[in-house]
Amino acid sequence: MALTQEDVRGIADYARIALEGDELAQMTAYMNDAVAMLEPVLAYNLPDVEPTFHPIGDLSNVMREDAAAPERDLARDAALGNAVATRGDSFRVPSILGEGEA
Amino acid sequence: MARSFDTLTAAEIAAGIAAGDFSAAEVCTAALDAIAAREPEVQAFLQVTPELAQEAAARIDAARAAGEALGPLAGVPLAIKDNMNLAGTRTTCASRMLENYESPYTATCVARMLAAGCIPVGKANMDEFAFGSSTDSSAFHPTNNPWDTARVPGGSSGGSAAAVAAGMVPLSLGSDTGGSIRQPAALCGVVGMKPTYGAVSRYGVVAFGSSLDQVGPFGRTVADVALAMDALVSGGRDPYDSTAQDVVPGFVAAAASAEDLAGTRIGLVPAFMEAEGLTAEVRAGVERAASALEAAGAELVEVDLPHVDAAIAAYYVIGPAEAFSNLARFDGIRYGYQEPGCANLAQQSALSRAHGFGDEAKRRQMLGAYLLSSGVYDTYYYAAQKARTLITADYTAAFAQVDAILMPATPHAAFRHGEISDPTQMYLSDMYTISLNIAGNGGIVVPVGLGEDTGLPMAAQLVAPAFADERLVTYAAVIERALADAATGAPVLGVAPACAGKGGELA
Repeated sequence: MALTQEDVRGIADYARIALEGDELAQMTAYMNDAVAMLEPVLAYNLPDVEPTFHPIGDLSNVMREDAAAPERDLARDAALGNAVATRGDSFRVPSILGEGEA
Repeated sequence: MARSFDTLTAAEIAAGIAAGDFSAAEVCTAALDAIAAREPEVQAFLQVTPELAQEAAARIDAARAAGEALGPLAGVPLAIKDNMNLAGTRTTCASRMLENYESPYTATCVARMLAAGCIPVGKANMDEFAFGSSTDSSAFHPTNNPWDTARVPGGSSGGSAAAVAAGMVPLSLGSDTGGSIRQPAALCGVVGMKPTYGAVSRYGVVAFGSSLDQVGPFGRTVADVALAMDALVSGGRDPYDSTAQDVVPGFVAAAASAEDLAGTRIGLVPAFMEAEGLTAEVRAGVERAASALEAAGAELVEVDLPHVDAAIAAYYVIGPAEAFSNLARFDGIRYGYQEPGCANLAQQSALSRAHGFGDEAKRRQMLGAYLLSSGVYDTYYYAAQKARTLITADYTAAFAQVDAILMPATPHAAFRHGEISDPTQMYLSDMYTISLNIAGNGGIVVPVGLGEDTGLPMAAQLVAPAFADERLVTYAAVIERALADAATGAPVLGVAPACAGKGGELA
């Protein structure tokens, strides 16, 4: 069943991407084309096949000592340097709840 | 007599510096001159870094003067895809989202190339966040194919491939999530390699699809790509990337061992060679490569990959799902574009992401968000990961019969800017590259000459079992040598003619 513009608006809300103007209609058309292209994969929902979430999956993970590595610590200036809004040693954000939501 | 530095391979530059024929500073100046002369037509770079390059060159010249041992790539100019962090540069991923992002540290892959002696001349253009096959989705400017500037260089590592094809650098780094090294290498007529997943550290490379991404090199010769691969795997498994594996640096030796292939079996996939959309000139190019391998003693064997038809659909489930997860971090708070004047955090996130990301980055994340949503996830995501199991099993079965598989890299030559405007049509052009990212094994693309119909670069792709990447270099070197100029020994394709010799004279 095709995705409607209302469906796509809900996905955009979940993805935290505001769609504006013609974008909702264009995105809806794209989403339906893309999902149609994915159709062949549905034939692979086979009960007797195990999914592979990771290639080369039988190799062991890389672990390190559970110890502090100060040489890898990002300096505070560097950590804050790419942020648009900071105050003191913190990232600055607008209110989390809008008016009337508190 | 002065000659352009673009006639030299990376190996020759490093040898010339070690022998004192020229200095690293002179090579650096030549590379920057070549970039100045050629970049207006090609536009391969988002940032050129003359100061970093000159500092690195000066360190190499000082080391040589002090009698210290030089690295195997000492003084070799390097271009770096702009999704790789290098302290002292911006890392933008060709996105407005990261337009002002200063690299807080240096990626392991970049650090290893620099440790081998490379001099970093700049950050190369790409499709935004590596989503694309043309480099046209860069938020800043397109890159032109050096062989025909009306055409795309491919993507997403299009700037890295074009910089090498234009002779601005002998080596560059790219990343490959669904073909993003191999497809632009094919379209630009250079060698490009995607090693096995895990062979090269991704630490410091901006993540797209975490179960698919792999870093690899571009060069104009197989031997140069082998030098870069040895540099990338030297130092062993990177403790900063939990997927990194130990790989022995045997690529240079493997490239040099390309002689008799008696006893070697090379697979050809009939369904690939007869696929709809494959042009006659690309097929003819792959057949030239097959003949070269056969002439060297290899036996050609037909093999089947029965589930590979599902690869594109599986990829466009797994890739967007992983991309959506990875790119959720761009909320405009700690880094990246931040929408001014927002009343609350949710609005700030939604508008920062709406205005920071370009169209394709939004499309992929929207598709991923849908595929991971409740109810849809079970239907598509599990099916894609089961297809992945079967595709991997196909390769395992094929490699029980053959040592490597030869196939096209792309169905057609470089296309014109804007020629493929429908995003889902663009996705279908990944048909020959994507299954390797799904299964994780490595592939190399090697030029085979110009197409008889378009006059554009043609290429063949070799695919090997996981962690048998040295084989790729050996067999690619056999193809390269068989097709080389009989008099000079030069590879069948060199620097693109419109760029060759333009600027970059080495006194």
